[in-house]
Amino acid sequence: MVIRIAAVGDVHLDEDVVGRFRPALEELPECADVLLLAGDLTRHGTEAEARCVAEEFGGLAVPVVTVLGNHDHQCDQVPQVVKVLEDAGITVLEGNGVVLDCAGGRLGIAGVKGFGGGFAGRCASDFGEPEMKAFVRTTTDSADRLGAALRSLDCDMLVALTHYSPVPDTLAGEPLEIYPFLGSYQLGQAIDSAPTALAVHGHAHAGTERGTTPGGVRVRNVAHPVIKQAYSVFHVGDQLDTDQVSPIGQSGSQRSWS
Amino acid sequence: MTHHRDIDAGPPDEYVEAEIQRLLVEDPAVAEQGITVVRRERALVLYGEVESPHRREEILRRVSERFPDVPVTSDIGVIRAQAPTEIEQLP
Ligand SMILES: [Fe+2]
Ligand SMILES: [Fe+2]
Repeated sequence: MVIRIAAVGDVHLDEDVVGRFRPALEELPECADVLLLAGDLTRHGTEAEARCVAEEFGGLAVPVVTVLGNHDHQCDQVPQVVKVLEDAGITVLEGNGVVLDCAGGRLGIAGVKGFGGGFAGRCASDFGEPEMKAFVRTTTDSADRLGAALRSLDCDMLVALTHYSPVPDTLAGEPLEIYPFLGSYQLGQAIDSAPTALAVHGHAHAGTERGTTPGGVRVRNVAHPVIKQAYSVFHVGDQLDTDQVSPIGQSGSQRSWS
Repeated sequence: MTHHRDIDAGPPDEYVEAEIQRLLVEDPAVAEQGITVVRRERALVLYGEVESPHRREEILRRVSERFPDVPVTSDIGVIRAQAPTEIEQLP
């Protein structure tokens, strides 16, 4: 079973960008079963910018599933932004999931925007001033909702979609001082609480592509400035072309993704 | 450019760097979180990647408007948006 996943984040659309992605997007049906958008679709989260996203990413021949990013919250027009995207046929996740029937099986995608807080041993704590506790509780709530959504999906393969990063690995290249604003370990913990096959995020424009959660789940930072192409394509599954797969233990190759 | 101020003078220039960094994010005409401000010998250099040539020009225009006495140059790229030529296999 192989499912083909295309993904990009941080496209930050406005009128000046409309049309730049479209030629590459038209090729999607040949190479992917689904397109995931990892948030920061807009610059300021206005309804007008959301219409640019709808124009660029709407009406594609593959399903499009997204989470919002921090930029999409800037103008406090989240309900309007979500409505414009949904009217264009784009599925917007926030603490919930969706299951898509693909040629290779049922793909379950659970998504949240996520939030900051930092990583094990170097993170904010739920302690002290109300502002600090509100910050940390926002992250904890978000991670809890991601974990619950992941565990609730009945599917053959499970993917987690966030804007903020679940691991520090994919932040390499960013200043260490801002890691707590780029992601949190609780998201990784949520991803590890379910049999997740792949976790995709954005937000870290100066980060790197590849990482792994402590539980061994592959993590990919697909922020557009990181991947420097319209989208990345991942073929996820346990029956890839045999010459592409390095020989590992026999028991490992029999594992199913459910 | 008119006169160059001494940009190795210490703390005041760190505040300028901080202000520029915040301007890049908080100015609605820019709203970029991914631009790095680096202090070089002769000027502040802006590095990063943006989605259009228009945004690159706007960044330099807004920064020079707000800090006319600070020499600023930019080495900002526009991110390619072509279809990928390779896929990644994840067994
Ligand atoms: Fe972004
Ligand atoms: Fe972001």
